[in-house]
Amino acid sequence: MAFLLRRLLLAVPTLFGVLVVAFMLLYIAPGDPVQAMIGEHADEETIARLRAQLHLDDPLPQRFGHYVASVARGDLGRSYVTNRPITQDIRERFPKTLQLAGAAMLLAAVVGITLGVFSARAPGGLVDRLSLGIAYLGISFPVYWVGLLLILLFAVTLRVLPPSGYGRLRFLVLPALALGMRSIAFLARMTRSAMLESLGADYVRTARAKGLAERVVTLKHALRNALIPIITVLGLDFGAYLTGSILTETVFSWPGIGRYVVNAIGRRDLPAIQGTVLFLSAVFVLVNLITDLAYAKADPRVSYH
Amino acid sequence: MRLALALCLLTTAACYGDETTTNRRTLIDSRDNYDPRSLDPALSTDVPTGRAVGYVFDGLTRFSPAAEVEPGLAVRWEVTQDGLTYAFHLRRHVRFHDGTPFGARDVVHSWERALDPTSKSSASEFLYPIKGAREFHGGKATAIAGLAVRDDSTIVVTLEQPLAAFTKLLAMPVAAIVPQRITPNFGERPVGTGPWRLIDWRHDDYLLFARNDQYFLGAAKAESLQARIIAEPSTSVAEFESGNVDVLQIPAGQTREWEEDESRRPLLSSTPALELVYVGINTTRGPLRDPRVRQAINYAVDITTIIDRLVSGRGTRAAGVIPPALAGYDSTRRGYPYDTTKARQLLAAAGYPNGIDVELWCSMTPIYVRIAETIQAYLNAVGIRTKVVQRESAASRAAARKGETDMILKDWYADYPDAENFLFPLLYSGNKGSGGNVSFYANARFDSTVMAARRELDERKRVALLRGADSIAFADAPMMFLYFYNELYAVQPWVKGFRPPVIFNGQRWLDVTMSNRAPGDSTLAPRTTSSTATPH
Repeated sequence: MAFLLRRLLLAVPTLFGVLVVAFMLLYIAPGDPVQAMIGEHADEETIARLRAQLHLDDPLPQRFGHYVASVARGDLGRSYVTNRPITQDIRERFPKTLQLAGAAMLLAAVVGITLGVFSARAPGGLVDRLSLGIAYLGISFPVYWVGLLLILLFAVTLRVLPPSGYGRLRFLVLPALALGMRSIAFLARMTRSAMLESLGADYVRTARAKGLAERVVTLKHALRNALIPIITVLGLDFGAYLTGSILTETVFSWPGIGRYVVNAIGRRDLPAIQGTVLFLSAVFVLVNLITDLAYAKADPRVSYH
Repeated sequence: MRLALALCLLTTAACYGDETTTNRRTLIDSRDNYDPRSLDPALSTDVPTGRAVGYVFDGLTRFSPAAEVEPGLAVRWEVTQDGLTYAFHLRRHVRFHDGTPFGARDVVHSWERALDPTSKSSASEFLYPIKGAREFHGGKATAIAGLAVRDDSTIVVTLEQPLAAFTKLLAMPVAAIVPQRITPNFGERPVGTGPWRLIDWRHDDYLLFARNDQYFLGAAKAESLQARIIAEPSTSVAEFESGNVDVLQIPAGQTREWEEDESRRPLLSSTPALELVYVGINTTRGPLRDPRVRQAINYAVDITTIIDRLVSGRGTRAAGVIPPALAGYDSTRRGYPYDTTKARQLLAAAGYPNGIDVELWCSMTPIYVRIAETIQAYLNAVGIRTKVVQRESAASRAAARKGETDMILKDWYADYPDAENFLFPLLYSGNKGSGGNVSFYANARFDSTVMAARRELDERKRVALLRGADSIAFADAPMMFLYFYNELYAVQPWVKGFRPPVIFNGQRWLDVTMSNRAPGDSTLAPRTTSSTATPH
């Protein structure tokens, strides 16, 4: 409990650091939000008026101070471009990203771990070679490309699933598969090597010697001990998916947070970029924390003080 | 990517059936590739917003698909001899979607709102031709001097200076008429007089419109219209091939595949876009001050080959800035031919027998990078040693406006379909820099011709002036004249009445119909069910 509290408190300076970096980066980066906003048109007068309205001419420390003060009140400001509150935009989009990331992770965990376990049971066997093939493809194919191929096969040619868009389960299958592909590959390899190690360990031999069923030996003794690296991969990938499945969301027209932030960057929509970066950093910190807690759950030797 | 497209072709050619009906009842558009900014006309500066504003709202005038001005909320208008005063006679018995009647006061209110000094609008300058609009926008006046309500159905507008294209400005999204009672989230829940009511907006996903049965020009023929937001062009193509969307803009890279495919060619229709792609040459920097050097730059590049190879022939060679779809275009004027000898001669004549060094700026858009690099190779070949500088588009535009670029590859889209919307912003001396004239071009004869054209009410004389101005600029070569982009659409065989618009807000889907399957088997398509009937 004390650990949890300490970690949560530690997150505050981390997030403050993120805030400073995001703010400074956008300040240094070329491109002016007003120029991006008005596009080709507008005279100097309009530009000056808009700059003043957005407080862009205020001194940097003052702008930063204002921003931190409103963030502390839970207000991420309004978008320069759409004038909508950033918190509302995030609230609309993040659940969709969560849904996609969750589905991809679930798929990856089930398929990847299963493949890994079966590969380790019979190294060099058919399943092992098949899983190696899948792993190669999954790691070397860019998600963008996999996405397009999936659309062509399942939506255009076979016409069994919709090509893109947001909706019920049917709409989730292809993007989750495209997004989870890399994790399936990683998990399969990771599980395999961790399992090979633990299957050769003394306690497995002991378990077998006790006459336990092979299924119990594999799942309860070997897999349980192989869980740590698996959890690491799951945690890292889940964090990455939550914070930016930009390509998948673009290819499949999934209205999530990744597309939102990319659009915001293109338009130099400073409050939207800063707000989303801050929010996503918080999510990442949280996922890391959950991963750490999962270690302790999986391995009683790990404990936090 | 290329392989993906090839695969796409193989698979689709095999299964592209001869379906000529659909079981959908909602028209589905796939042209928007990002979420509209807001449906508040006052905030409209981008194409998806402008298109949607055109569905929900009306202006006093509107554009036909061929970009002609037609009466909108004004049935007719008179102009005084001096071209300064317009009397607009408004349509009677028109109501907003919420039932409020429309009248002359709404016009004043809408334009005051668009010009409100506290609004974040950046398109309001299109209303500046109205007398007193600039002062009002600057907070120096409490009313727009040039607006007078004669009676409930007549409004008299006085201009600062005569402007022949004024009625075209009134068909722009920013001049659309809104009701006087504005709800706080008007941009999300807009209320207009237009042919479609917005009933659902899922950000980054779609906008759904339902027909306004009381529309004054007659209700749209289809019941509903969905504008899907699809960020990736290849995805739009897949959606089209699955029959889920009705209209598709063919991505430039896929042009040849579509044109050469027997089964898909009949679905295509092309229309000239009001978009000029050009290289602005800063006429105030170093050797570029000499027109002979600028002409040499034009002679040195094989533009026809660039159009053919890099944009799949999707361009009409430019010989001036007025596009083929607009009055003032001169089809007899030929672009600078590809002639390297002539280019070298001109350079030598200008005093640079050993060539010159220049920078060519461009944005990071892949197609522009490729064009810039090709131009670089051509220019290097005649001794114009060119360095390509790539910057993100807002940054390169800002640099060009400050006059920091020798040359910049860019494009220009028309805001309203008139030749002056090319000549005036791009080349008039008063618009140097931030006004859009990144060539910093100044020619007194050109200026006076353009200004005369802006004021001339006699259309025949005006067109002659526009053409004359274009010809003056062409000879001075303040830019490398590249091409006018051609839009290419694919329309599903079951869709009837869709004319590709020349200007973005010129197609409001009023006459578009779908041939549906027999009522017996009219189960709704999955996409329609999940997107319109089921809340997510």
